[in-house]
Amino acid sequence: MGETSITEIERLLVAEVASILSIDPRAISVDAPLHSLGMSSMAFVELLVVIEKTFDLKLMETDLKKEDFQAIRSLASCIHRMT
Amino acid sequence: MHPQDDVTHPMVSIPFSKKKHYLTGIDWLLQGFDCMNKRATGAGNAFQIVMELEGVPAEDRVRDALDGFVKKFPVLGGRTRRDYNLAPYWEIPRRAHNTSSRLDVHRLEDAAEAFPLLEAGVNAPFGNEREHVAFCLIHAGSNGHAAVKFDHRLFDAHGAEVFLGMFQRDWEKGGGCRWESPPLEPAHLDQWRKRFEAGRNLNRALLRLVGDSPPRALPLDPAASREGFGFSVIRFDQQQSREILQRAESEAGYLMAMPYTMALAVQALHGIFAGRGITAGDYIVPVTMDTRLPSDRPREVFFNHVSLLLFRIRADQADDRSALLKSIKQQMYDQAKAGLARSIPDASLLMRILPLPAVEYLLKLYLKQRIASFCFSFLGDTGHMPDRFMENKVRHSYHMTRVPVPPGLGVFFQHSRGSLNACLSYQRGLLGEAEVNRVLDALRSGLQG
Repeated sequence: MGETSITEIERLLVAEVASILSIDPRAISVDAPLHSLGMSSMAFVELLVVIEKTFDLKLMETDLKKEDFQAIRSLASCIHRMT
Repeated sequence: MHPQDDVTHPMVSIPFSKKKHYLTGIDWLLQGFDCMNKRATGAGNAFQIVMELEGVPAEDRVRDALDGFVKKFPVLGGRTRRDYNLAPYWEIPRRAHNTSSRLDVHRLEDAAEAFPLLEAGVNAPFGNEREHVAFCLIHAGSNGHAAVKFDHRLFDAHGAEVFLGMFQRDWEKGGGCRWESPPLEPAHLDQWRKRFEAGRNLNRALLRLVGDSPPRALPLDPAASREGFGFSVIRFDQQQSREILQRAESEAGYLMAMPYTMALAVQALHGIFAGRGITAGDYIVPVTMDTRLPSDRPREVFFNHVSLLLFRIRADQADDRSALLKSIKQQMYDQAKAGLARSIPDASLLMRILPLPAVEYLLKLYLKQRIASFCFSFLGDTGHMPDRFMENKVRHSYHMTRVPVPPGLGVFFQHSRGSLNACLSYQRGLLGEAEVNRVLDALRSGLQG
């Protein structure tokens, strides 16, 4: 996964968030805070599980801050950095 | 059944009726808890939303508004039945039942008398088998309370807040709101392989969770069982709430308010267990999670749209906040990975064949007769709780929840309109007054750093 571009990661995350929240992916802005999309603790953890399965990254165990997690763009950037 | 009511649902090849809302496995579990509470305390599994008001609307206007609103929902006058295919269902009357709700009005000289009255209200059984909502108006000087008690078989916490929001909108439009009939649940007599796989998944998870020893639990006092539940509420204003949630974020992580508040609840109650010299076993804590998708939240008003996460908290970690948070988050992660929250609704469908006393027996069998140490939930801001009750401003709102017995003990957080509150709910006799105060102090000091 090391060669995956940030844009591809963003696209994948948008698809996963849309699937978890059952919303239209076109309605998701990559800069929108995840909680503003209606994401709960459990839905967020489900997203972290997908990230582990896809990128082999256990983000739950890292020291990432709110700024890293709160929007798809920042999350994609972190994943890109760590892979 | 009228002939025009007969339709065939595409998922199941048996006829179903518009008068039948089949119960999901989660609904049946809640019916089981209702049965347990009736047996243990004389009243069912109910909860109450209390709105503290600036001023109080006139009784006759409230009565008129409620009568008109309740009549729009025949489901409120329903009752549980079992179909010929053995699936339990909610029998919905053709028209709203005139005894499906009631309004009690109290006038108090002393505002301090309001809370005991609210406790008595939520502890009282519903008036009849078709009554599932009860309204209460309390005048206390120039202010007052509007309280609404909900039957947990028909409403979960989120749905109840949506219901109150609908009432407010209806009143603002002079009773002119119309809502589509709630979607009917099919019988779910299909996909048996999927259900059994979910059952196997859940069975393994439960066996791992319980281990060899029963959960640490406070002994129930049979002599106090008919006295109902006591409640204590801690409220925080918007500024305090913001600070608490910021602390939760920096200590537990983004969107991790639930694990953070749960860790504080464990620590607060651990002090009581330790003080009593109860040292055997770990804590088992079931946590209710809302399963509505964002798009369904305004529509799924009735019945229970929740699942459970089950946590085992090592008692020797209860004093270490950092270890507690790590453990809770890891268990949450592991359960999400194993799909447990999704398995429970599927697996619990299998339980619907059981009579309700057998549901209770099965739950106790798994968890060594004690079910759990305490119950917990964190209800995030649903955005549906109204800021007014008719023309009166709502200053504060909170939930008072009767907990299934056993364990008869719960801590419930609610975040509404920017304000956070926590409600300690305990079966009378389970905690002494000094212990209640210790729990509240520990929660307050933990939350406020």
